[in-house]
Amino acid sequence: MVTVKLKPIEEILKYLKKEWNVGIVGCEIGSSRCKNGGLREAKKLAEVLALNGYTVAFISSPGGTCILERLKKNILRDIEEKCDVVVSLACGAGTQVLAENLDIPVITGVDTLFIGAETDSYTFKEYCIACGNCIISSTGGICPVARCPKSLLNGPCGGAINGRCEVDSSMPCIWYVIEKRMEELETIASLKLPQPPADHSKFIHPRELKVED
Amino acid sequence: MTLHEKLSSGKFVITAEIAPPRGTEWKKVIEEIEPLRGRVDAFNVTDCQRSMLRMSSIAMSKILLDSGFEPILQLTCRDRNRIALQSELLGAAALGIRNVCLMTGDFTTLGDVPQAKPVFDLDSVQLIKSVSDMNRGKLINGKDLDEPTSFTIGAVFNPFAGPKRLQVWKLEKKIRAGAVFIQTQPVYDVKTAREVAETIKDLGGKAIIGLLPIRSVRMANFMEKLNPGSVPTDLRRAVEKAENPAEYGWKYTIDLAKAISEFADGIHFMLVGKIEELADFITYLRNNHGRNE
Repeated sequence: MVTVKLKPIEEILKYLKKEWNVGIVGCEIGSSRCKNGGLREAKKLAEVLALNGYTVAFISSPGGTCILERLKKNILRDIEEKCDVVVSLACGAGTQVLAENLDIPVITGVDTLFIGAETDSYTFKEYCIACGNCIISSTGGICPVARCPKSLLNGPCGGAINGRCEVDSSMPCIWYVIEKRMEELETIASLKLPQPPADHSKFIHPRELKVED
Repeated sequence: MTLHEKLSSGKFVITAEIAPPRGTEWKKVIEEIEPLRGRVDAFNVTDCQRSMLRMSSIAMSKILLDSGFEPILQLTCRDRNRIALQSELLGAAALGIRNVCLMTGDFTTLGDVPQAKPVFDLDSVQLIKSVSDMNRGKLINGKDLDEPTSFTIGAVFNPFAGPKRLQVWKLEKKIRAGAVFIQTQPVYDVKTAREVAETIKDLGGKAIIGLLPIRSVRMANFMEKLNPGSVPTDLRRAVEKAENPAEYGWKYTIDLAKAISEFADGIHFMLVGKIEELADFITYLRNNHGRNE
């Protein structure tokens, strides 16, 4: 899922005026799961704003703030009627859908981080960078593009010491993990083959996906 | 004789490493290596080593050429995409630079401009392959060059990194992709040096073993931390006991270099602290080594 992190309250307050009626919109998909922008955090933020003398006129946390159809059906009209500004705790995608479809200012209360895998409860790790060119079938189902800071395709760099990554020694070098997995799968010999450069033309943003019926 | 000629004729080569200045004052760098003129075969010119911002390695390599020294241009994948890398390499070729040592490069956040965008468009294997293709007259987009380049390609190997098997496979990929010579991280014992030289030679590369004299207990500890297993306990103890650790470390390196000259294709001095003594040592090595006359 897309992970987010709440911004410090001071940063949010910079964009708000006390005479405004504030709406707070979270997201029950990503932001809620990583406890940084679901209904609970939206309500907490409302309390903090009230303590600071702001008026909160609307709180909602839809199941997918980036899905315009749902926003139209459920909250956009309410927001327009009650609010002068919206603080969004949804990821960058959801926040922009709100901004594009409201006449009032939309500010963000979070930093959008990454596509996270929740490997331990409430611990999220970046497992995928959405490169548009997935190679994990040939690396034991483990992605060196996302999980090696240098996105190396031909094996570990010379900074892989004692199983740790040179960039951050609290992280494993993902090539140790790939080696172990491919050894178990008895597919390791394929790592001898040189890998050609990645095609970054598949990674040019903004990208679009149109689904046909 | 050029580095390329020496390597192809099986002569023992000696390379050393210099860093471009943090600024534009290149004269000092040239003055410092003056005693090594005619003794060191070629100088690696580092490319913002450890991700520390310095003068361009291409400019410094050209300055070396103009000063009568043979450069080995180091180029990393850290700061340039494939367009920039190939464009720079064509420029280097036009300036008369013939040797390159190609590597992935340290990560940006380890250096003194941690906010910089890390590039890593290609990795070392892919860059080496692309330069081999340039030597065959082809650019990375498949277009023909007006004239093929004639780079002698080098690469690097860290015997202390892992996983061992994947490191050796990657080394093999580098050599198959066209790396002729391999320069290693500093080695501190003959046994490791011999094993590393054999690994490289078995794969068809020329083994140039890295040497970096230990100057203090602190440095011994630092090297052991950087490359665990590289500094033997005996060496560390001896440095601890030595009255003059730098002197001890230097003599140790010289002895090690002598031993290595018996089986490797060359040695690579990664720090040229005692230039005069290094110059004397190289003269000695040349006079006492069958492959060097």
